[in-house]
Parts: sequence; structure tokens; C-alpha cells
Amino acid sequence: MFNQIKNLAGGEIYLVTSLLMFMVFFVIVGVYLLKLSKKHIEVMSEIPLQENQPDVYEED
Amino acid sequence: MQLEKFTYDNRIVRNFGIATLVWGIIGMTVGLLVAMQLFKPAMNMGSQYTTFGRIRPLHTNAVIFAFVGNAIFMGVYYSLQRLLKARMFSDVLSKIHFWGWQLIILSAVITLPLGFTTSHEYAELEWPIDIAITIIWVVFGINMFGTIIKRRERHLYVAIWFYIATFVTIAVLHIVNSFELPISFMKSYYLYAGVQDALVQWWYGHNAVAFFLTTPYLGMMYYFLPKMAGRPVYSYKLSILHFWSLIFIYIWAGPHHLLYTSLPGWAQSLGVAFSIMLIAPSWGGMINGLLTLRGAWDKVREDVTLKFMVVALTAYGMATFEGPLLSLKQINGVAHFTDWIVAHVHVGALGWNGFLTFGVLYWLIPRIYKTELYSKKLARFHFWIGTLGILFYAIPMYWAGFTQGLMWKEFTPEGLLKYPNFLATTLQIIPMHVLRSVGGALYLTGVIVMTYNLAKTMLGAKLVANEPAEAMPLTKIIVDSSPADKAWHRVLERKPMKFMVLSLIIILIGGMVEMMPTFTIQSNVPTIASVKPYTALELQGRDLYIREGCVNCHSQTVRPFRSETERYGEYSKAGEFVYDHPFLWGSKRTGPDLHRVGGKYSDAWHYNHLVDPTSMSPGSIMPPYPWLIEQQLDITTTASKIRAMRTLGVPYSEGYDKHANDDLKIQAEKIALDLKQNNIKVKSDREIVAIIAYLQRLGTDIKANKETIPSNQ
Repeated sequence: MFNQIKNLAGGEIYLVTSLLMFMVFFVIVGVYLLKLSKKHIEVMSEIPLQENQPDVYEED
Repeated sequence: MQLEKFTYDNRIVRNFGIATLVWGIIGMTVGLLVAMQLFKPAMNMGSQYTTFGRIRPLHTNAVIFAFVGNAIFMGVYYSLQRLLKARMFSDVLSKIHFWGWQLIILSAVITLPLGFTTSHEYAELEWPIDIAITIIWVVFGINMFGTIIKRRERHLYVAIWFYIATFVTIAVLHIVNSFELPISFMKSYYLYAGVQDALVQWWYGHNAVAFFLTTPYLGMMYYFLPKMAGRPVYSYKLSILHFWSLIFIYIWAGPHHLLYTSLPGWAQSLGVAFSIMLIAPSWGGMINGLLTLRGAWDKVREDVTLKFMVVALTAYGMATFEGPLLSLKQINGVAHFTDWIVAHVHVGALGWNGFLTFGVLYWLIPRIYKTELYSKKLARFHFWIGTLGILFYAIPMYWAGFTQGLMWKEFTPEGLLKYPNFLATTLQIIPMHVLRSVGGALYLTGVIVMTYNLAKTMLGAKLVANEPAEAMPLTKIIVDSSPADKAWHRVLERKPMKFMVLSLIIILIGGMVEMMPTFTIQSNVPTIASVKPYTALELQGRDLYIREGCVNCHSQTVRPFRSETERYGEYSKAGEFVYDHPFLWGSKRTGPDLHRVGGKYSDAWHYNHLVDPTSMSPGSIMPPYPWLIEQQLDITTTASKIRAMRTLGVPYSEGYDKHANDDLKIQAEKIALDLKQNNIKVKSDREIVAIIAYLQRLGTDIKANKETIPSNQ
């Protein structure tokens, strides 16, 4: 399975760069997710169910 | 601060809903018709306008852009207003969007059977319609962003991110894959050629699946599923991860449609690697959806809308697991060009898109009419016949795919192809094609029952065209420009324009990394000295090949497998396609590959085969093309075609456009004379002569000049 992404005859640079880009991107999103506050998540996920607006936004 | 009173526009939602139903029935009926032509060619009713090659694109365009397209707009217009606590930005724009989109579809229904096609799959519509699509898409965008700007809800719920990503990416895909040089009102040539054209097309084709059939539906899932289940989405954090990783990864995966072709190896590998990674966000989304129903499974038993949603999510899970598997080279080598791919896309189309649409329709129509569904019993019947339809469709197609894929590759102990006659592998799977049509018919029956049920629901009540609502207006907030204590995403959720730009950057990265080197580095597409431009007659023949949609059943790229080089000849090289505007590699082999067909048979064989395929290949399911003898070749276009090709860099000599028709006539006479010697009387000015010229040229440039192939090919 991995042979097809290993033997690239000079094309490795594209693959390695792309995977690095992906890793960096993934780490950024991951760090952000870990830092999210619970209250905010709760407010956001309730939005579709609310007929009216939420009373408070924790950061406003 | 005072509560503001306003109304939601339900009329536009209803209109898109009706359009979804009407086009759904039309698109699926055409699908059934083309499916039946694959075991009974006479189902083309003897007319060129209803023959497979021309109406298969009508089926795909109708179900993707008309059925699913209208369903997207229905879902977006309903949920966007409610998630933002605001009426749509402009009723006029809503109307222009609705009628403009229906006119575009209508123009497709007229032009595709007439043979006006660019031949790029799912982008067949010619340049004037491409411009219309762009305009209407922008209208949709203005309406959506206008609504976002005048919203009364500070934060954008995850569904809206998916809508924004859909808008941005489809705009980019459509524009990049529509760079065409118009030749006449309904004819154009793509700016790209050969390998580069193939890369652009499958970057588009794959991401049309991603950003037309997937992201807007995920947005709808994140809104409608919690509404139906009466509980919030299982994990909002997961939905954020789902969103960003999905849009980042999806855009890279296009080259998995071109494995083993002459696309540079590194681009193929990128496509494979990112396709495998795609499992993670796709399944994250599916699991998030299914777990939203935790503790609500008792509702699933009672509520037919939730039943549809569960099957939709399951189908999404299956299709997105299978997709990465199919992009592994070993599996792709067997599956590609077979019915396996047809099965794969229909699990997605019938299960994911179809069933989610039905669930939303059953939920939404009674609500905007403030009534109950006319018959729950009929809805349950629809659920079961639809599910049965999917099974009857998918299982025979998988069976057919495995069978044919393996038969193509089977050798005898002596080292010869076991089934050297391609037709033997086609005839083997005909019973499966019959069963598939039964599956399609069951599925369509369900849709007709639903339409009756919903029509009765609508006729029995009155539409709440303007649904009253109230909400507080947003106050201006003074935000610290560098909020240390605030996550950037919360800021993004309030700034739709920044959000759009960020999504745009994310989706551009993948496309650019893959395309820029393929376009700019010479060594990626090595030229071959003996490859020459088509003659004027061959060029005209090629355009007839495009008009008849031959590419829907015949590929033009021989993969470097022994099973293919034995069957077809030398495998295809990138340098052979440098004058092919557009490329015609195809994606399905209902008939054999044609890249090396040139010189394989006599002109007379081709003539007889085109007029009556069964005369040369008994049992063939290829339709006859008698109109090619009746119709005169239009040579008034030759000069403009040569000029256009010159503009695109094809090395015809200067001024050749003026005497190209002289050469054309000489070559046509030669073919007519050759046919005459075989007792076939046909005038040299007929279309069939041009198409024979083209077929006889295919793949011959390097046949006699093997030494001209660069060593790295």
C-alpha cells in the first residue's frame, strides 16, 4: 500500500510538502479546538433548536 | 432594545422544493431510459436525440444540478433564514436565482440531446450556459451574504460554514473548468489540452462531488438532523474539525480519477495519499450525525424523516469508505472503467443525496404549510421501496463491476488473454444491467409516490408564504483588535467575509500544488516528435465523436498493464495528447478503449460497424448511427476551428485555415474511394467519412515511430 506513495522518481518533494502543510494545518485546528470554551460550544450547538436568540454570549 | 418583527420567506423554499420534485422525476426517468439502453439499444427509439451518448450527460446533469441543486437551494433558503434570524436579503434576487436556475436546466435539456457538449463530465454545458451559471451563482452568493450581513444572530452556525465553502469552491471550480475558446454560438475548445485538461477536469469532477453533493448536504445535515431529533448535534467540536479538515483534504484528491494514466506519477500519488486521509473527516461527520440520534432511536422507529436520515448517513459512510479504497492503485486497477464505479456513485447519489433530500422534504413541506403530512403510510412505503431500489441497483452493479474487471485481466495458462473479445465481457454482465434497471424503477416509483403524497399535502392546506418571527437586532460590539482571551474562530464566526477568504485560501492550496507544476514544468508532459496535429477532416471527425458522446462508453487511454497492452497495444503517453482540446480519456469502458484503434480495422469495417454494430460484432449493445450517413458534414466551421486551434498553440501553418477544406475534401474522397472498392457507396461529404478518418488516426502517431518516444515514457 505504501509503495505507491514512496517510489516517486523525484516527485517526493510534492508529497512531503503537501503532507507537511496538512500536518501544520491539522495541528492548528487541533490546538484551537482544545482551547475552545465549553460554554461557547454549548451556545453554538443550541442555535438550530432555538426559536429565539440566546440571552447571553459569553464573550460579548 | 426592542424586538424586531420580520417574516421568513417560505414561498421561495416551496418553489425550490417543487422544482426538486419535478426535476427529480425527469432526471431519474432519463436515468432509467439510459440504463435500459445498455441491454436493449433499441430503447433509443431510433433517434439521435435520445441515444445513450447524448442523454447520459442529460441524466447526470439533471440529477446533480437540477434535482440535488434545487434541493440544496431549498435547504439553504429554509435553514439560513432561521439560523440567522433574518429574511433572505432580497426577494427579487431569490426570484432571479430560482427562475435563472430553472432556465439553465431547461437549456441543458434542450442542448445536450442536440449534441452541444464540451465533453467534460458534469461540465458538458457549452460556454453561453457556463456564463449564465456564473451569473446566477453570483446572484445566489449576493443573496446569501446579504442575508448574513443583515442577520440578527451574531455567530454563524456550522451549517452556514458549509454553505459558504460550497459557494466559494463551486465558483472557483466552475470558472477554472470553463476556460473555453468559443468558436461559434454553441461550440468551444478548452484552453487546456491532454494531460493538463484531464487534471483540471478531474480536479473539477471530484470536487463537484465534494462541494456540490457533499458540503451543502452536510450543512443541511447539521441543521435538519438536530431539528428532527429535537436535540443538538452530538459534538460541535467535531463538526469544526470535520469542516476544516474536509475542505482542506478533499480538494487534493482529484487525481485518483487518473491513476495509471500518463498524468505525472507524483500527482497520482498525492491524489492517493489525500484520498486515504479523507476517510477521517468523512467518518467524523457521519459518526457525528448518527450519534446525534443517541437516546433518540425510539424516534427513528416512529418518524419516517429520521429513517431517511439514518439511511442517508449510512450510505454516506459507505461511499466515503469505499472512495479511499478505490483510490488505492491495486484496487483502482481492477475497478476503474467498470460498473463498480457506477455502483459507488449511486450509493452516494441514491442513498446520501436522495434519501437526505426526501427526509428534508417530508419534514419541511408540512411545516411551511402548517399542516400534517397527507399520508405517513405512503411515506413509509416510499422509504422501503427506495431502500429496496438502492439494493437492487447497487448489488448487481458491484457484481457486474467485479466480473468485468476480472475478466479483462484474466490470462490463460499459455499467457494469452482469456477473453480477447471485449464483447464477451459485456455480454456476461447484461443480466446485472437488467436487474439494475429494476432497482432504478423501484427507486423512481418511490419518488413518484412521494410527489403524490407531498402534492396532496400542499393542496390540502395553505402555504404560510411569510412566516412571522421576531428577534433582537444585533448591537455593535467594540472588539479588541488582538483579543488575547478570545479564540480566533469565534472572531471568524462573526466575520463572514474573512471566513470566506480563509476557506478560499484553504481550497486553493491543493489545486495549486497539483496544477502549477503540471502546467509549467516541461518534463511533466514530454513532447513526442512524431505526434502531429489532426488533419482538418480528423478534427471535424473528432468533434462529431464529441457530439455523439462516444466518450461516455469508450476510453482513450491505455494503462500500462499487460492485460491492456495485450488487448489494445502500446500504453498511452502524455506527449500523444498535446493537441487534444479537450482530452477524451473517458471514465467508463462500456465498450473497448479506442486509443489504439487507428489502423486496426478497415474503413469498411468502421462504416458497417457504425451503421449497424451487430453486423460486425454480433450481440453488440452499441447503438447504430445511421444518421451519420444521412447528414452532410458542416465544413463551414473548418476555418474557424483551425484558427482557434492555432490560437491555442496547435502548430498549423499560418493561413492554413483558408485552404484546410481543400485538404479535407481530398482526404474524404480517398476514404470514400476506399469504401467504394469494398462495395460501399457513400458520398464523401457525409459525416461518417469524417468520423472514420478520426478513428483511423487514433494512436497511430507513435505506432510506426516508436523510436521517437522519450526514454522516460
